[in-house]
Amino acid sequence: MNIRCATPNDLMNMQHCNLLCLPENYQMKYYFYHGLSWPQLSYVAEDQSGTIVGYVLAKMEEDPEDSVPHGHITSLAVKRSHRRLGLAQKLMDQASRAMVENFKAQYVSLHVRKSNRAALHLYTETLKFSISEIEPKYYADGEDAYAMRRDLSEFKEKCDSDGDISATKGFFEAREPVKQEQ
Amino acid sequence: MPSKNPLPPKENAFFKRILKCYEQKQYKNGLKFAKQILANPKFSEHGETMAMKGLTLNCLGKKEEAYDFVRRGLRNDLTSHVCWHVYGLLQRSDRKYDEAIKCYRNALKWDKDNLQILRDLSLLQIQMRDIEGYRETRYQLLALRPGQRASWIGYAMAYHLLKDYDMCLKILEEFRKTQTPKSFDYEHSELLLYQNMVMQEAGMYQEAMEHFRTYDKQIVDKLYIQETLASLYLQLGQPEKAAEINKALISRNPENWSYYQKYEKAMGLEGESEERLKLYTEILEKHPRASMPKCLPLTFVTGDVFHKSIDEFLKKALRKGQYLFVSIKSIYKDPSKVKIIEDLVLSYVKNLKEEGKFDSNGEVESVTVLLWTYYFLAQHFDHLNNIEKALEYINLGIEHTPLLIELYVLKAKIYKHAGDTGKAVEMMDEAQSLDTADRCINSKCAKYMLRANQIQEAADMCSKFTREGISAVENLNEMQCMWFQTECAFAYKRLGKWGEALKKCHEIDRHFTEIIEDQFDFHTYCMRKMTLRSYVGLLRLEDSLRGHAFFSRIALLAAEIYLHLHDHPLTEGDNDGDLNSENLTPSELKKIKRKQRKAQKKAELEREKQKAEQEKRDQNKNKTTDGELDGPKEEELVPDKLARVEDPLEQAIYFLKPLQNLSANCVDVHVKAYEIYSRKGKLLLMLQSIKRGVAADRFDPHFHICLIHFLQYVKGKGELVEPTKTVIEQEMKKIYEGKTALQLNTDFLSRNMNSLPHRLAGARMMYNLDNSRQKEAISIATTLESDIKGVTIKNCVDVLESLGRGDVGQCEQEASDYQSQCYRRFPLATAFCPHMQTQASEKEESSSGNPSNEILVNGSSAKHEVELDVC
Repeated sequence: MNIRCATPNDLMNMQHCNLLCLPENYQMKYYFYHGLSWPQLSYVAEDQSGTIVGYVLAKMEEDPEDSVPHGHITSLAVKRSHRRLGLAQKLMDQASRAMVENFKAQYVSLHVRKSNRAALHLYTETLKFSISEIEPKYYADGEDAYAMRRDLSEFKEKCDSDGDISATKGFFEAREPVKQEQ
Repeated sequence: MPSKNPLPPKENAFFKRILKCYEQKQYKNGLKFAKQILANPKFSEHGETMAMKGLTLNCLGKKEEAYDFVRRGLRNDLTSHVCWHVYGLLQRSDRKYDEAIKCYRNALKWDKDNLQILRDLSLLQIQMRDIEGYRETRYQLLALRPGQRASWIGYAMAYHLLKDYDMCLKILEEFRKTQTPKSFDYEHSELLLYQNMVMQEAGMYQEAMEHFRTYDKQIVDKLYIQETLASLYLQLGQPEKAAEINKALISRNPENWSYYQKYEKAMGLEGESEERLKLYTEILEKHPRASMPKCLPLTFVTGDVFHKSIDEFLKKALRKGQYLFVSIKSIYKDPSKVKIIEDLVLSYVKNLKEEGKFDSNGEVESVTVLLWTYYFLAQHFDHLNNIEKALEYINLGIEHTPLLIELYVLKAKIYKHAGDTGKAVEMMDEAQSLDTADRCINSKCAKYMLRANQIQEAADMCSKFTREGISAVENLNEMQCMWFQTECAFAYKRLGKWGEALKKCHEIDRHFTEIIEDQFDFHTYCMRKMTLRSYVGLLRLEDSLRGHAFFSRIALLAAEIYLHLHDHPLTEGDNDGDLNSENLTPSELKKIKRKQRKAQKKAELEREKQKAEQEKRDQNKNKTTDGELDGPKEEELVPDKLARVEDPLEQAIYFLKPLQNLSANCVDVHVKAYEIYSRKGKLLLMLQSIKRGVAADRFDPHFHICLIHFLQYVKGKGELVEPTKTVIEQEMKKIYEGKTALQLNTDFLSRNMNSLPHRLAGARMMYNLDNSRQKEAISIATTLESDIKGVTIKNCVDVLESLGRGDVGQCEQEASDYQSQCYRRFPLATAFCPHMQTQASEKEESSSGNPSNEILVNGSSAKHEVELDVC
């Protein structure tokens, strides 16, 4: 499956995927809000024909209570037919790195239903999140949520240390000869 | 600008408070202050107060009164910019944007530098894509407020959208010079990236490169820089640099297919060279968990190399119990590879059963490996349309592990492909019952139910995941759940419930209108956020929004239904949905009627309950937000009214219009357009559809029928008048090259002899042009030889229905023989099941009286049932 940053054109198909897979749904405008506020943060997984089989819809917390810049996962879904391929993790890794690079995020947070054991397992075991608190009656139907977090310093190191051209240091410093060629 | 009728200080203070109340949404208070002014006989007709009173009333949902007050206010004070502005806002709230623009322009006549009005005007102009007007307004805003960054950005953007890149870049550069970026400045970074994007669109690749070189430290979106640089280097003829960057990008995200492709293109790597494979082994060493470098080489290696790598790949994946098939589906295009896979996996099964190993010299595997191997083989054979084998392996799997959901999902899918929707629903329901907490499987089950026309059951299924206190159907509409509504529309259509089907089509159409409205807030928002690249992306997306498959599917369906309703209008006594009783036995009819009554009762109860709840909610809402209404209230969609609309052809055109441009390469659009215009007798528009169809797909079977129809139609018209005559003659010459209908059809048939749908279209026209060739035509339509392509259940049903309609004349015996023949070919498909035979012939009798001299353009049962992908 191909994993890439989402464009405005993907947003409708992400909504479609969301409606199929998850109980928490949003109108298109909310997807637009994500895509137009933080265009770097949302990612999609697509199959050979370009059908979206998974996505992560992500944002930055706008006025963080703790004044620490951090990202937030609004929604993460992978179609049942495409599970066990590690897509959720791959999507999250890309989104996390983008949060660090573009917004200096220090951690990423999300909510999960207390009863959703499959998701809880994914977040704690595979995606290295841990529960930070319980938010009572977070969901419209009255269910509690676990607020979870994952530290992103690992990605910060990655961004800083990538010695190759994908580093933040600046591509052209190592590449002076280009100028002379022209 | 002083009003014609200025208020004294006390009243003026009241007036200001009306404005404030309006801004703060305290509408009831606003009305009180308005009353205090208007109660004074001296000011009882004060224009601006009346206008504001009207605007406030509008926010409370009192539309008629609102218009009345605003209009009267305006009449009393025609030179007040306030009155005009208010009138504009009122129209805007009703989404009458053109009218609103006129009002704003009038308001500006009396107060040309009013910032608020200029801003409001610019928003409507960009929303309506009046880009020239937008540019003018943005110019004025810039002149008035040169210190604001939105002034510069908006003005520059106007030029960008007008494709005047030079001017756009000049303005952006002037603006950039005034900026002092902070050390880590996302917004400034976005500005620079927008500047760069404009350069690229202008084809100024060298400049874009220089621009990155100068500012790369100020840009935080490193991924975009890298991706763009790679393509710039390629454009500028430095492929080795492009390759280097793409390699780094692969390292950053080894699951992105395009990086590999671009790397290979830049390096000129093709075929199975060592060099090409080296990249993948290298990446795999660095990223052992990545799957792209494992899957991609499988698509281009062949022979022994393929054999060895696929062997390893399959074993690994089967051990892990991965959903293997979706990862290698792309390989299935190559039959020789399919053969290798099949042989390998069959040998695994044999060895696993005998010794628990993949092959004799391997290690003993866990018992679940055999299960995943069965599962894979079932998918494999299902993909190859070998239903018998697919069922065999899926049943082995279920025997092995009776409670694995995926097995039932797959079994349901196999039954669906076999043409037994009832059994498919049964299986999917089984799967769903094993995990009721997973919406994916729930949605899938609902979709299968809809395919089997079980609409109420599907809604009930969905209701497990929709909000409580509101019906599932309503909640899904609110959430813009288009797959569900689309499937409902098709199900209703199959049941002959035209009105209900149309209601679904209109609901989806309204979602699209809503999504276009959604832009409005982003016009200002994005300029504040500086996310201009994405904003331009949004504008472009919205411009072609109705080109999305979600729209085109239901637009074609709506057009088809409206065409049907034009040809067969409902009579007084007809109830929507009772129409298809002709092909049901009396007992079945009774059963259905009973079911319908029950469902109706249930629905009524449900509606009442919801109404009560809605009222309760509305009351609460009134308390909290003073009853503000968002957008105009939409007319309720009443199925029976929709099915009895006066102008079905106009309605069909409404749905089709956007597609004529946005989906111009979809030949179905032009077929439908042709059918509409031929019923209206619009010769030139028929010609237009023919021309567009020729460009899209001249040899499409449905379009072929239009082509012949048009030729005959023009011939039947006799002498045409000028200038139509010349136009038609010239264009026909290009399209038909002087061929007769008979020649055209003969050419078509000989060209497409090995395709079933083409044979049907050709046969129909053969009979149509010459009744004496009925035998030949029937034989062409009904042959199912092995070398004929497109022998699918759907296509065979089309043939059977066509025979039933009398498209090739009376042919009961042949139809019945054909049905048996299909039944042998598709033994599980209920459509050809023998006990349905009596119904089929009944149906024939009732509808075979088609006057055969007239070509019925494609009938009305052309099906456009594209798979909507679920999970």
